[in-house]
Amino acid sequence: MNHLQTQQDALLNALFAWPAEHATHQLMAHLSPGAGPVLRGIQAYQSNGHALAQRALAAAYPVVQQLVGAPSFADLARALWHAHPPVRGDVALWGATLPDFVRHSAQLQDVPYLADVAQAEWRLHACATAADATPEPASLQLLTTHAPDTVTLALVPGSCAICSQWPLASLLLAHRAGGPSLATVGAALRDGVAEDVVVWRQGWQPTLRQALVGEAAVLQALLSGATLAQALDAGPTLDFAHWLPLAVQSGLILAVRPATPGTSSTNDNLPL
Amino acid sequence: MLLPVSAPNTPSAPAACDVGIGWRQPHYASLLQTPRAIDFLEVHSENFFAAGGAALAVLERGRAHYPISLHGVGLALGSAAGVDDWHLQQLAQLVRRVDPVRVSDHASFARARVDGNTIHASDLLPIPFNRQALDVLCNNVQRVQDRLQRPIAVENLSAYIQWQTTAEDALAEPFFLMELTRRSGCALLIDVNNIFVNARNADLKAPLDVAVARCRTWLDQIDGAAVAEIHLAGHCYQNDVHGEIVIDDHSDRVCPEVWQLYRHALQRLGPVPTLIEWDTAIPELDVLLDEAARARACALERA
Repeated sequence: MNHLQTQQDALLNALFAWPAEHATHQLMAHLSPGAGPVLRGIQAYQSNGHALAQRALAAAYPVVQQLVGAPSFADLARALWHAHPPVRGDVALWGATLPDFVRHSAQLQDVPYLADVAQAEWRLHACATAADATPEPASLQLLTTHAPDTVTLALVPGSCAICSQWPLASLLLAHRAGGPSLATVGAALRDGVAEDVVVWRQGWQPTLRQALVGEAAVLQALLSGATLAQALDAGPTLDFAHWLPLAVQSGLILAVRPATPGTSSTNDNLPL
Repeated sequence: MLLPVSAPNTPSAPAACDVGIGWRQPHYASLLQTPRAIDFLEVHSENFFAAGGAALAVLERGRAHYPISLHGVGLALGSAAGVDDWHLQQLAQLVRRVDPVRVSDHASFARARVDGNTIHASDLLPIPFNRQALDVLCNNVQRVQDRLQRPIAVENLSAYIQWQTTAEDALAEPFFLMELTRRSGCALLIDVNNIFVNARNADLKAPLDVAVARCRTWLDQIDGAAVAEIHLAGHCYQNDVHGEIVIDDHSDRVCPEVWQLYRHALQRLGPVPTLIEWDTAIPELDVLLDEAARARACALERA
């Protein structure tokens, strides 16, 4: 290993090891004591990293931040920063591992729905920057001329369905849209209400709503490349006639396309 | 031996006293709604790496009204681990999409190994000024220029630590940067505030005029022909349990000493497109425009 590589590894270890004392001590051997207090400089970089982690995570997970409170969220951001450092130079991509991190965090087991909230928020964050796409309403005519096992529905890039055993839609909407009330959400939690969520982008706006009965299974099948017939088999309880115009008008469905064997979702390039 | 790249797609040179501002989210709408007397807008490249979405649409609308300068904070050009292929691919796509007047990044590193994995620190970390770091920087800059098919500008850094270098191996920062331009064909982006922050942190007890004198000496070693852009920004003093330090946080107006150094830079380097940077606690647009007007006045005064 060359000397420059050793120096650079040493600095990053001092910034990401936790606790940092040992790595900081090892870094000191590479630094010049001549210009200013050395530890103060290292601390400036460490603080900058923690502040950036908090800002980046708060931008992607505003509801998680509200649920755990600002001080705990700052601790969470710092812990994730050290456990799962960024690998890309676009910090907006950092934070995808928070849902799993929360799911396995011993300190957060008393908020068992937090991981599902985080998962939905990351999908909202990701779909904000998904590829732009134009609806093709004329293609709907294929539904009248083609059998369901020969066509599929193209969903807007970034869309997804999330299944949850918690009242996930109510939890998110209460904090993002101001309703339902927190009292209603509390009652739903006590009653064990389960709500699946649909995430998609409506124009420029990342959007979510509670999934209709059977909708999550249909969407997940479509995203994995199923034909319309296969998707409806996956979610036989979906009222297709009711759902289709709703999904088209809200921009969730872009087009009807001839089914292509082996085609999968439109979300391949998203940081999921 | 590294050869300078040709620049077939480089737009024509901008007017000499061009002054621009950093275009950040709070001012996306206002700069589109009301045309302003701004010669160019600078954006952080990484904020527009997405495949689509509202921010990218805003940028595309903005480029119809203003020339765009793409300023990166994540190429990590000084990394011994190299430039990330993914990052370079995203930047190349953005450059094709935006056709910017300039593409720039920093003489810094961010990629290295922790626990066996190459990570990105998401910060502008300093490199030593020696031959080994220069070789790495030249190779990485050359690779970026080859991919983009245009020269880039590389910015001097504000650094809060200094690497140990042997006396025989150490290079002065201005010489290091000039060697970079000579070997790679890149331009320099001179951040006057960064020079001043470094001079202050080198000796916070010294009078301000000592720091200013150090900065003048630094600037005097730079060849104006190599400079594509100047950055001006504010900084802050932090004094806490860890000690006192000056942080280049782009959170304030340009300080009087940096204005003084900017005038000196214009005298030494000639008229150079100049950017007002403000990234923390972003003020009303009028404040940014006021700073830009002041920079323009300095350039006109020198002319």
